Amino acid sequence: MTHDVNAMTHDPAAPEAADTPVFSVGGLWKVFGPKAAAAKVPGSEHAELAPAALREATGCTAAVRDVSFDVRKGEVFVVMGLSGSGKSTLVRCLTRLIEPTAGTLSIDGEDVLAMDAARLRELRRHRAAMVFQHFGLLPHRTVLDNVAYGLEIQGVSRAERRAKAAEMVAKVGLDGLEDRRPGQLSGGQQQRVGLARALAADPEVLLFDEPFSALDPLIRREMQDEVARLHHDEGRTMVFITHDLAEALRLGDRIALMRDGRIVQLGTPEEIVGSPADDYVREFVRDVPREQVLTVRSAMRPAAPGEADQGPALAPATTVVEAIEAVARSGGPARVVDRGRCLGVVDDAALLAVVAGLPAPAAREVAA
Amino acid sequence: MTAATPSVRDPRDPSDSGRPQAPGTGRTRPDARDEGRATAGRRDTREARDTREARDTRPDGDGPTRRHASTGRPAAARATALFSHRAARKLLPLAVAAALLVPLALAFPGAGSWPAQLAVDLSGPLGRAGDWIIDHRDSHPLFLYFFGHVSNAVVICVRAVYTVLLAAGWLGVTALAGLVAWRLAGIRLALTCVAAFAACGLLGMWVPTMQTLALMAVAVTAAVAVGALLGLAAGLSPRTDRALRPVLDTMQVLPAFAYLLPMVLVFGIGVPAAVLATVVYAAPPMARLTALGLRDADAGVLEASASLGATGRQRLFSARLPLARRQLLLGVNQAIMTGLSMAVIASVIGAGGLGDRVYQALASVDVGAALAAGIPIVLLAVVLDRTADAAGNRLGATPDPAREKHLLRRVFGGWYGRLLTVLAAVAAAVAGRIADTSLWPESWTVPIAEPVNRAVAWMTAHLYSGVPVVGGTADWSARFTGWVLDPLRTGLQAAPWWTLLLLAGAVALLVGTWRTALTAVLALAAIGVLGVWEPSLDTLSQVLAAVAVTLVLGFAIAVGAARSARAQRLLRPVLDVCQTMPQFVYLIPVVALFGVGRAPAAAAAVVYALPAVVRITTQGLSEVNPAAMEAARSLGATRSQQLWQVQLPLARPALLLAVNQAVVLVLAVVIIGGLVGGGALGYDVVLGLAQGDLATGLVAGAAIVCLGLLLDRVTQPAKEA
Repeated sequence: MTHDVNAMTHDPAAPEAADTPVFSVGGLWKVFGPKAAAAKVPGSEHAELAPAALREATGCTAAVRDVSFDVRKGEVFVVMGLSGSGKSTLVRCLTRLIEPTAGTLSIDGEDVLAMDAARLRELRRHRAAMVFQHFGLLPHRTVLDNVAYGLEIQGVSRAERRAKAAEMVAKVGLDGLEDRRPGQLSGGQQQRVGLARALAADPEVLLFDEPFSALDPLIRREMQDEVARLHHDEGRTMVFITHDLAEALRLGDRIALMRDGRIVQLGTPEEIVGSPADDYVREFVRDVPREQVLTVRSAMRPAAPGEADQGPALAPATTVVEAIEAVARSGGPARVVDRGRCLGVVDDAALLAVVAGLPAPAAREVAA
Repeated sequence: MTAATPSVRDPRDPSDSGRPQAPGTGRTRPDARDEGRATAGRRDTREARDTREARDTRPDGDGPTRRHASTGRPAAARATALFSHRAARKLLPLAVAAALLVPLALAFPGAGSWPAQLAVDLSGPLGRAGDWIIDHRDSHPLFLYFFGHVSNAVVICVRAVYTVLLAAGWLGVTALAGLVAWRLAGIRLALTCVAAFAACGLLGMWVPTMQTLALMAVAVTAAVAVGALLGLAAGLSPRTDRALRPVLDTMQVLPAFAYLLPMVLVFGIGVPAAVLATVVYAAPPMARLTALGLRDADAGVLEASASLGATGRQRLFSARLPLARRQLLLGVNQAIMTGLSMAVIASVIGAGGLGDRVYQALASVDVGAALAAGIPIVLLAVVLDRTADAAGNRLGATPDPAREKHLLRRVFGGWYGRLLTVLAAVAAAVAGRIADTSLWPESWTVPIAEPVNRAVAWMTAHLYSGVPVVGGTADWSARFTGWVLDPLRTGLQAAPWWTLLLLAGAVALLVGTWRTALTAVLALAAIGVLGVWEPSLDTLSQVLAAVAVTLVLGFAIAVGAARSARAQRLLRPVLDVCQTMPQFVYLIPVVALFGVGRAPAAAAAVVYALPAVVRITTQGLSEVNPAAMEAARSLGATRSQQLWQVQLPLARPALLLAVNQAVVLVLAVVIIGGLVGGGALGYDVVLGLAQGDLATGLVAGAAIVCLGLLLDRVTQPAKEA
């Protein structure tokens, strides 16, 4: 994954280190309601109330409650949850399209909440660009002018921004449609325009707010591939909001699962599916085809004597469904090998246990 | 009245059609519908407000009922059953009010009329104020340094435009109008334009047409500027919007005549008063639509703009204003149409031009001359409306000069096309000057006044009365007056004043909320206090009779039309033209048919209000949820069952809106009917103007305002959610 080192130069004061998170969110709150009342909720005795009780007590609605996470450079960080879980509010707080009520928020180590209006505009113009569920395209402008809109706001000259926009239009596969208006495009094409517009500013982070929820399933799949390809090619950091678990598992390096404004679990897709933190998450991931998400790492058991040097070798990141194929072909257990070292073996019993959703025989020992 | 606009013909914004309907966007749809409906007529813009207000002011109040219900005793339960009916519960306080009013009424015995003890005679103070203004118009600093300058500026502007129009000559003006229309909408509208201007010339009305056009151009420009600024303020600041909205709403329901006298008071009779009255009348629709457009701009787009780091100003100019441009153009269209309507009516206060010709002709019952001046007004209205409409469509659609098929239109298509258009028009004007025909040649005019008057004379002789079986028009008129108007007026005037107050309150309460009821009662009481109780009730009787006729006819036509798409297609152009014509014009044919009197005034009002009622009702009926209709059909409902059980109940909001519109529009024309023998308040205004008796006119004007408020409030469908 190529790291965009140039992005770091936006803030010379930030320590030049790969492990500085792009976004660092700590104890973030967003409470909607009368301003004075809303500001009092975080940290008060009302903070723990259920949404209905909170509304009763204070007249406020807490959309985001005490949320903390880091977005690492180059990763796809997915925030997922059902509607009303606060995920869209959360992503808007990142660039202060919605003003957070309390908490800390920094980008590359720079405090976002302390930014003045000009600095914040600069952040929105150059560092974080957003793609919206309903596209937010200007209906009276052509595709090309829509893509160039962000650059126009930045004050880039007409010729330059049109050249850049044409490049982006080609990148998202809309060649030949430059002179159409958004109304003449299909939903998928419109979202490509939205994506191109966000890319045109060459931002450090791309924020996606349920970008494909309004699209047909086939088009959605196609767009997900597009995003995966972009991420693969450019390694840009992405924060991706979705209510679609399959989408989250497909795209996410890490997933934060939200409920009622809180993050109930944060982890890799495998952790979420393999070891749900509570019943809510378990219920959520119940229908996920586990064999496609879990890897042999969570199905293996320690090698019995003599097993460590025979059978097919699998990488630890191999999914269970791939391992089933290997085991079925060879007829015996397969080894999980990392850099020449045998970590353990998977046999048909262990793999079937994963498919059946039973706790793997040795999972506890391996996880420990 | 303004014509339908693109969004009426197609309420759903075509630019949205490709867009999936997800929950988030769903929020904006009802408003879009409002907007579409809002364009059915000038006053229809109120629907948006009505529905919104309906949401806000929905009366709550299950509380008392529940408490009653819990008492459980049989007698109490019966009482509860009575009061659980919402209407009954609402009327209870009214009964208390009645108990208070009746002793008051007994304290002032006498006939049904408003007691003289409770009236305030304003003619003295108002007359003195008028005299003071007339005396100080040339000396007081307010007039010297403010109104004087305003007045001068208006005169200079109108004169400048007029001079330019005359200098361009008929060739230049016609060529420019034709070219602009051609560029905007194509050859058909261009030919219509040229034909319309040629007709103005042929009728010998070239100079008055130019006078009206000049006055209108100045007034509409000012109205659009003022309206846009107000709309901008209201669209960007919710607080301003809250403050401005009731004012604009009220201004929209007041009859045009109410605006004349205050202007005359300040500026005297003449062009400045006429122009400013027109500005005041034409600005509200522009302001309303601007605010509506700005407020309803797609929030998603605005957010996207913000997320890209746009400053407030960038957001306004690159997103908010362009998103609202449809409404802005609609606003301009409406400002033009209301401006024309008012510029014609303002002839009563010295506007000159076409309206003045009609006014003079009507004063001497010279139908031929009135028609000769009336036709150009109609033509002007149609041409202006179509052109503005085409401009709106063109901006709404996507002009693409490069893909234009016709070579000529491609040449005229781009920005240089505008230059070419102007140059061509100038060339035509110069050609006209060289040929020395800047004014329409005298020999080319066709005097129609004479033949028309002969036709009217023939009609008077043969159709007025004594036609076998159907009777003559004068007979109808006399019967309508004798059997409907007179009993109604007598009844209203004989009814004790406090019953009328109670009645107004009750109706307003049933239809609306406490606040509307209060406004209605206060407005009616104010009429009494002003001392114009009798003439106001006279006007009211005409309004009620005309509204009843309008609604019966309108609903019948609409129910018929809603059944067949073909009928709607046939009806649409007729409605378009009817809604385009200024109020004044409707007086001409009714005078020809029925002579002068109260019945013709009511007839003109009916004809004027009918198109709006038909349009709103038809739209309401044909927009009834098709699924509900299908369900009824699948259950085997007959057509009449479908109509009575599904269509009419579901179209209730549209029907209520139609009633409201009918009342407002009828009032406007009944007042103007004062010019053709309608008497009552309208006549008082005209009389006040004619005799320089400002006090009488102003009091009548105030009563008109009160009557307008009252009628609007008692018919405002506020509880439809």
